[in-house]
Amino acid sequence: MPPIRDKFTIHSKAVVCQDVELKGDITIGAGTIVHPKATIFAIAGPIVIGSGCIIEEATIIVNRRKEVMRIGDENLFEVGCRVECPSIGDFNTVSARSRVHHTVRISNHCVIGVGCLVVPIEDEVLDDFTVVYGPSAERRKWSGRGKVQEMDLRRKHAEYLREMIPKFNRLRRGDGV
Amino acid sequence: MAPSVLYHCPCLSTSSVPPPPHLPSSSYSFHPLNTLFFCEECDAVRCNQCVSVEVSSYYCPNCLFEVPSASVRAEKNRCARNCFMCPNCRNTLAAVPADPPESSDGRISGSVNEGPYILYCNHCRWDSVEIGITFEKPTGLAAQLQKFEDSAPDSLEFDRLKEHFDAFLRQSALAASTTGTHPHHTHSHSLHTNSITAAASAALARDIPGVGKYNPLARSTNNRGYGKDKSVNRDEMTEYRSRSEISQAAGGGELDVELMNGLEEVDEVASLDQRWESSWVSSMQTKDLKPIRIPLHSKRSKRCPACTHILIKPEQKSQSVRYKIKLVASNYLPGIVVVLPHVRQAKEELLKRNLGKSVSAQAEEPSVGMVAGRSYEFQLNLTNPLYDPIEVRLSVQRVHVSTAPAKEGVSPEKAKRPPFAISLPTTKFPISPFAEAWEYEDDEDMFGVEDDELGIGPASATVKTTKDKDGRARPKTVGVLERKANKTVVGGEIVIGKEAQGSVKFNMLVSYTYRSDDPAPSESGDMDGHNARAPEIKTFSFYTVVDLGPIIPREEVKLDL
Repeated sequence: MPPIRDKFTIHSKAVVCQDVELKGDITIGAGTIVHPKATIFAIAGPIVIGSGCIIEEATIIVNRRKEVMRIGDENLFEVGCRVECPSIGDFNTVSARSRVHHTVRISNHCVIGVGCLVVPIEDEVLDDFTVVYGPSAERRKWSGRGKVQEMDLRRKHAEYLREMIPKFNRLRRGDGV
Repeated sequence: MAPSVLYHCPCLSTSSVPPPPHLPSSSYSFHPLNTLFFCEECDAVRCNQCVSVEVSSYYCPNCLFEVPSASVRAEKNRCARNCFMCPNCRNTLAAVPADPPESSDGRISGSVNEGPYILYCNHCRWDSVEIGITFEKPTGLAAQLQKFEDSAPDSLEFDRLKEHFDAFLRQSALAASTTGTHPHHTHSHSLHTNSITAAASAALARDIPGVGKYNPLARSTNNRGYGKDKSVNRDEMTEYRSRSEISQAAGGGELDVELMNGLEEVDEVASLDQRWESSWVSSMQTKDLKPIRIPLHSKRSKRCPACTHILIKPEQKSQSVRYKIKLVASNYLPGIVVVLPHVRQAKEELLKRNLGKSVSAQAEEPSVGMVAGRSYEFQLNLTNPLYDPIEVRLSVQRVHVSTAPAKEGVSPEKAKRPPFAISLPTTKFPISPFAEAWEYEDDEDMFGVEDDELGIGPASATVKTTKDKDGRARPKTVGVLERKANKTVVGGEIVIGKEAQGSVKFNMLVSYTYRSDDPAPSESGDMDGHNARAPEIKTFSFYTVVDLGPIIPREEVKLDL
């Protein structure tokens, strides 16, 4: 297996803390916030993260496939989640301690509930507005009501973090701005 | 299964000896220490099964509002304010303003906080627009939903039933009060202030075929008789006609079949536990499920059954989790933890080896436990909760192994407990009192203390001789091993017979003595009454069952080799 060559392309407006473990070819878009103690491993293939994403502590984003793992804009990865999907759309929320397998592709506006394990055996695509909830990972479709307010809230969340995190944490600067 | 120690609660039975532990039915009388209470007046252990429980207060688990007991019945045990449960996932619903209409460029228009309000579940994203309920303002939701609820068929039926029974009760109460001959009787039977007991007595007066009718007024009718109207049987009730015929009620029958035939997804049908809480037949579709008012929780206080002293009394405030009175057994009885050192060591080694491995590689693990035919040591860790030092004596209860020979056809489950021998120190050993951490001097460890007496359990003279031989050579395993702060570790040994199977459980009597400095109740004329603090030595004893875990039978081990 070829050795992992680190190549980080971090946008100047992104806020990435010093304690984040990055490995491999990673691109982080504008306005994305990566909390300390997050882990982003692009082991086999590169990872491209869009703008406005919030990646909280103890999150593990791993790409074990050769293809590019694309993560869209304004997603929220809560504390302790583990994400391996090859593609994620926009405005999704992966809640705390949940796990999403590499067989799943997530579209837009989905919500993976707290502690849910989305681990189907075969490849699967989660449509827009899918909500996964409950201990047995039941699914239902969100009507989309309230999405405007949620988007608003996400943006305010990101703005607040962008102000506060640099005050209390050291930031890492990318080597290809 | 980790080795454990459970405490015996006699539950007001006259015999203090607990049942033999290997019987499956005796597990009801042994409890972990954290679930037991201690009554100071009776000097006895009480468990959850023997205490009498009464409700102290009612509160809503969502808004933490304390509901006075009077309104609990009026509100039907539900929160009267804005607390609702999502019918889908049972999470709490929040009242949020609905989305403002999107302007053409998709930006968020000015105010997001007005407009109609909807109930919204954060967990599964269900909202009340799906069933068409919106609110004008975010408070007083219960009042706004009141009219929907009042017109529901089950609540109308219930009101009709109440009116019907009310009339009957009032009638019988009136009739009884006009007799006047047995005021004592009638008061206790008919003039019930509590309508629950009134309903109960009405149920008792009901006609049951085959059983003679219980008529509490029988004596009085015989006695008064003459002037009263005998043609009217006062205990008879008018026939109740329900509001709607049950066979025509919504749901059930043909409608359900049609629904099932036209089903597209399984999710369209509401699951059983979403439907069975309502007392009325409701529609089977998920899109008809309504938000449920949150049921109230109650805080309970517990009393000793013998002397009715309060053992547990929670604080009135619903936010606080503390107790005004908390007489728990762990403040009076020494806590006992049993450990098998060889299992603990093996588990630690296993953890170290598995540190780097993934979960799938860890699946194969040799089972560590007690193998039949060997002897193991175990340790009992006793903790003293009192502020006085105590002296503890342990003794193993001899279990009567049934002497009837096992017949050929008898299944092995009926066999007695597995044969094993326990040795524990039989002399008293002291445990230091409980004190704050800074009051201890460092390291009161004392290893291998004086008491050398090895108590031998039932059976096995051969075991005794081997112990005598290398009892001196080996480091001491039976006896007080360690004393630290208010804990003492006592070691014991167990020898398991060759053909043993099942779990190792034995009853152990723990008796301890302590000096209590309670002042003796002084008589009024006694001069040195308050000076004479006669320290009395009090003794208390309780039974426990020590469960060391299952025995791995010998044949399994052979197969592994």
